[in-house]
Amino acid sequence: MATIELAHPASHIHPAPEGFVRKYIFSLDHKVIAVQYFITSGLFFVLAGLLAELIRVQLMQPNNTVLDPATFNEAFSVHGSAMVWLVVIPILTGGFGNLIMPLQIGARDVAFPWLNMLSFWLFPPAGILLFGSFLLGAPQAGWTEYPPISVLASPGTSMWCAAIFLIGVSSTITGLNFLVTIIKMRAPGMTWTRMPLFVWASAVTAFLNFIATANLSISLAVLFIQRTFHVPFYDETRGGSPVLWQHMFWFYSHPAVYIMILPAFGIVSEIIPTMVRRPIFGYKAIAYSSVAIALVSFMVWAHHMFTSGLAQWIQLPFMIMTMIVAIPTGVKVFSWVASLWGGRIRFTSPLLFVLGFLSTFTFGGITGVMLASVPADVHEHGTYFIVAHLHYVLFGGSMFGVFAGLYYWWPKMTGRMLDERLGKIHFWLMFVAFNCTFLPMHWLGLLGMPRRVATYDPIYWHTNLFVSISAFVLGASMLLFAYNAIHSARYGKRAGPNPWGARTLEWMIPSPPPYYNFKELPVVLSGPYDYGKPLPYRDVDPDMIEAAAMPAY
Amino acid sequence: MSQQPEAFRLDAGFWRATALLAIISIALMILVVVYPIGKLLPEASSASLSIDFLFRFMAFFSVPILVFVNGYIIYFCIRYRRRKDEPLDSIGSPIHDHRALEDTWTIVPTILMVALGILSYLAMPQYYLKGKDSAATIEAIGHQFYYEFRYPGLPHAVDNDMYLPLGVPVTIDLTSAESDETRAVIHSFWVPEFRVKQDMIPGMVVPIHFTPIELGTYKLICTEFCGLGHAHMWGYVHVVSRADFDAWWNSQQKNAQTQAHQAINFASGNASSGQALFAQKCTACHNAAPFDQRKVGPGLANLFHDPQHPDLVDGKPANARDVGDILEHGYQGSMGVMPNAQANGLNAKDIADLIAYLQTLK
Repeated sequence: MATIELAHPASHIHPAPEGFVRKYIFSLDHKVIAVQYFITSGLFFVLAGLLAELIRVQLMQPNNTVLDPATFNEAFSVHGSAMVWLVVIPILTGGFGNLIMPLQIGARDVAFPWLNMLSFWLFPPAGILLFGSFLLGAPQAGWTEYPPISVLASPGTSMWCAAIFLIGVSSTITGLNFLVTIIKMRAPGMTWTRMPLFVWASAVTAFLNFIATANLSISLAVLFIQRTFHVPFYDETRGGSPVLWQHMFWFYSHPAVYIMILPAFGIVSEIIPTMVRRPIFGYKAIAYSSVAIALVSFMVWAHHMFTSGLAQWIQLPFMIMTMIVAIPTGVKVFSWVASLWGGRIRFTSPLLFVLGFLSTFTFGGITGVMLASVPADVHEHGTYFIVAHLHYVLFGGSMFGVFAGLYYWWPKMTGRMLDERLGKIHFWLMFVAFNCTFLPMHWLGLLGMPRRVATYDPIYWHTNLFVSISAFVLGASMLLFAYNAIHSARYGKRAGPNPWGARTLEWMIPSPPPYYNFKELPVVLSGPYDYGKPLPYRDVDPDMIEAAAMPAY
Repeated sequence: MSQQPEAFRLDAGFWRATALLAIISIALMILVVVYPIGKLLPEASSASLSIDFLFRFMAFFSVPILVFVNGYIIYFCIRYRRRKDEPLDSIGSPIHDHRALEDTWTIVPTILMVALGILSYLAMPQYYLKGKDSAATIEAIGHQFYYEFRYPGLPHAVDNDMYLPLGVPVTIDLTSAESDETRAVIHSFWVPEFRVKQDMIPGMVVPIHFTPIELGTYKLICTEFCGLGHAHMWGYVHVVSRADFDAWWNSQQKNAQTQAHQAINFASGNASSGQALFAQKCTACHNAAPFDQRKVGPGLANLFHDPQHPDLVDGKPANARDVGDILEHGYQGSMGVMPNAQANGLNAKDIADLIAYLQTLK
């Protein structure tokens, strides 16, 4: 490389904004927008979590009357919709993607800061619409809202369409924004194979967001049009098809599964080498397997529809493609486990959450394969088995990843440490309560308990009671995190630039990072995970190099 | 380039841990093989055997994956933890990758997936396709919130209770319908003991095919969300001997001939039994409160004397006979369906009791 062209010459720095509104409300700074995402989706996490607790209160005993059937249906529908679209997707992409990705590629912001602001500001109205739908009668047909029942349902379902449509547009824009950022704005010398693995995950997620989400927006618009103007897209009596929605919905919602897990994979891939203090095992395998998963994810959607009356010849390729997903996913899991080998493992709270992730996600992956096999799925579909499976990958996977990332990057975001002892108690409580809540559901489903029911056969009573009590403990464990977060704002230890002794670029600047991140753009000389070797960056502050060599935890 | 095989040598401790994990795996794999699934959930159809075989196959190979992943995590965490006396900046092994190892953990799962794919493919025709050997094709129609069965040769439909003779292959054509066809929704037909499930989709007829192989009464469950009564939507499949089936068949034929319209004797209504019935059968959708305090259907407190709503929802006058009509035949409301008397399990006496109770409300 003879000449290295700087994407943003030093002269291009705008002055920091003045005034509260431009600084904290309509900010263009990716770090502020990330915090806005964290706070907003954190709020929705509390609301959707409370709905989950309500569901479990109702299911504590058969024929319970805490909620009437209509309210119960609203509760689980809004719980699912909110957890997927208002919590996991925004917190991983909008939160961690915004906060970390630009720092890790050595950029001063994302490519289109104004678009980034728009993406965020589409999000709170979506949440208000979704939770506001309770005023008109919230959606009742689950987060998948299959027609015809969603066409016949209460007016709140139209609000649901509008809310998710907004989230869809926001995701599409963010996808485009991040894709351009990662392609065009990496620091000089940061080739694709020198990118941190979280950036790889963000790039693939951005691609999925950009390509797949438009399809969700279309199917929602079509549902809205049918509900409002009675155009019979999904109405079989007038030439439409209810199964059409299932195809369109899952064509988005299966890639969305990877939108919800790939960033968590990225978080795990960052935390393991830092805490184990050795290079990640199989960097290229982990990076490229994300790409493989993303491509295959577009060819598996009909595995959600094995009982929807598809012809057998069309089920076969979908079954095979679904099983193929297990291979790159297995490669990742095995690589992470192998990364622990020969390390100097420091049991910090981020690493504990990562280990919890590995254990629960592997279990969820295996039940995923069990659901891929058509004949087995015919028994398992629509039961508590699938509720258990999806919570193992979405809660045990994504949410454990989210908490790992929060404990890991909290000091970078706020400049203060979270309390480690509380973090560890939080982990153990959450891990045990999580497994007690969702493991028994596998049995319930296999033995005959269908999902989305406000009551059940009394033979399932004791198991459900146990699940409910565990779910309350699981909910209570979140209070520990809330206390920890509030406590750290005042009493948390000052973090310094690099408390964990990590080597990626976000740790080469002060915590919290200054406006515009890098005074001088760093030049990247090799990959980020070679612990024990000199830092692969030119033009970083010499103090930072010292901080990277000597972790504080 | 970065491969340093000599540094990758695995020590005795690793092999000891591996041996322990292998023993645990083998023990659990044996358990998977001998585990009596049929005791937990009877295997009552021809399809259940191949599906349980597949499930066993998957569990068999999942066990070592789970044991080794979790076991190695625990072992590595103990073996490679940073000791108290080690400095915080001590560095672990510099190994980046190991080609042979990575190839192994790519190829072995691939082989397993191919095997699973083939086995699944072989099991697929066990249900699903219209069987050539079927003795009969029964129509099953999903309604909000009950099942209707139509047997060839039986003049009337049977609700919620399906009878099948043991050992006779049957095809069941599944669909969903309502009297107002635009209000039909998706239901599902699942008998856990048969391991057979298929959605009932309006406008589509999808056959499933199986042979019941064990006597018994099995619950038929709706697994596709279908509205307010979804949790209460179930029926029963009775697998009976040939003789019992014939007896049932004959009684149905006789019923059809003698069943006359059962007259409701309104005068005999008992308000207090009606009140108990109301709490049991009606309160999911109706309040004993003024009209506007509706749940799914209107509040029923002033049903017979409401100046603002003098007529019933079907436009008929609010008298005992027309209320009885709605109770008997059900009603398609704006927010849901009120099931008919048969689906609600109400006989003529019950209807008279309910009306007597409703008349006492003010």
